[in-house]
Amino acid sequence: MPDERLDGYAEALLAVAAAEGRSTVIEDELFRVGEALRQNDELLAALSDSRLPIEKRQGVVEDLLGEKASAVTTALVSMVVGTGHGGRLPEIVDAMAARGAADRDRVLAKVRSAIELTEDQKTRLAQAIKSSTGADVEIRVIIDESVLGGLVTEIGDDVIDGSVRRRQSQLRENFG
Amino acid sequence: MTATIRRAAGAFGLIGVLLAFGAVPASAVGETIGTCMFDELLEVEEEFGKLKELKKPEHKEDLLALEEDWEKCVEAPSPILPEPDEIIWGGAAFLILFGFMWWKGFPAVQRAMQARSEKIAADLDAAEQAKTEAASVLADHEARLAGAKAEAAQIVEDARAQADLVAEEIQARANEEVAQMRARAAADIESARSQAVSDLRGVVADIAVGAAERVIKSNLDVDTQRALVDAYIDEVADGNA
Repeated sequence: MPDERLDGYAEALLAVAAAEGRSTVIEDELFRVGEALRQNDELLAALSDSRLPIEKRQGVVEDLLGEKASAVTTALVSMVVGTGHGGRLPEIVDAMAARGAADRDRVLAKVRSAIELTEDQKTRLAQAIKSSTGADVEIRVIIDESVLGGLVTEIGDDVIDGSVRRRQSQLRENFG
Repeated sequence: MTATIRRAAGAFGLIGVLLAFGAVPASAVGETIGTCMFDELLEVEEEFGKLKELKKPEHKEDLLALEEDWEKCVEAPSPILPEPDEIIWGGAAFLILFGFMWWKGFPAVQRAMQARSEKIAADLDAAEQAKTEAASVLADHEARLAGAKAEAAQIVEDARAQADLVAEEIQARANEEVAQMRARAAADIESARSQAVSDLRGVVADIAVGAAERVIKSNLDVDTQRALVDAYIDEVADGNA
């Protein structure tokens, strides 16, 4: 998919979320759906499998998100899958989140954590990143148990890894 | 040559026969004792008329002369000197025979001898030439034999040198292969040792890290998780992350 088309879909998702008046919730749900697909290759492959009828792929989306996400979010995901771009949904969602943050004069910061962060932690983390890098960031938390503990923050191409997993890796490397 | 000699011998034989029948022997033409004495009596009768006259004293010397003549007739001929007529006939025959032989026989014999000598010389020359040729052939064979021996020796020497070279190459190749095998074996041993050490380290790391993970997981309750998050936020704020 060319970047122009990817940006177009991202802009479309943002526009729908804004039109529904629930940009924050819908963007957050879409972001979580994108991360869930990125961590589940089989599901991503199923949604992008052209041998499956589109109706069936959309049915899978509705079954998965029916009660866990808003109807708008489910409809938007179903729409992307219906256009045949379900395989690139994580990229579209990333582009949507980055574009949404940019619209709010922020930089997207993807934070991986084993537990959900409190709003206070999110605020303090944003302030800490701003004091460290000078950039206003918009925190998007991704629940990832493989982190074990601590946080992994991705800001663009920069990664700040303070996870227990990294320390275990360092320990393993030191043994090696 | 042999025919010429035979012809000459035949001519000599013929001449001898002619001379033998043509010549009168001295005994045939010469006087016998009786005729000699009879001739002497005839001479006495011619001189004195009758033989009785000699008995007379005045003819005593004539009688003595007659007796001497008779004694001469009785005397035997010389065993050495032939009669003159024999000498004449024999000499003539000899001269004729000698002349004939000088005229015919000697040239024939001389030609035969010359031919014989020439043949012997030619045979000697041929023998000498054959000897020379044989010597040349012998020398040539000896030269070839020497050349063949030298060539054989050279071939043997070359073969020995080639064999030595091949042996050296084989030895060098074997040494090189042995060195390579040793190097490979050493490398294999080192690789195996390194792999064993690495595997052991991996096992130890797995055990240690696994134990650590179990300890960490058992201790990572919600409060600990939040404490870790707070510590991370503080580190980022301090710029130590």
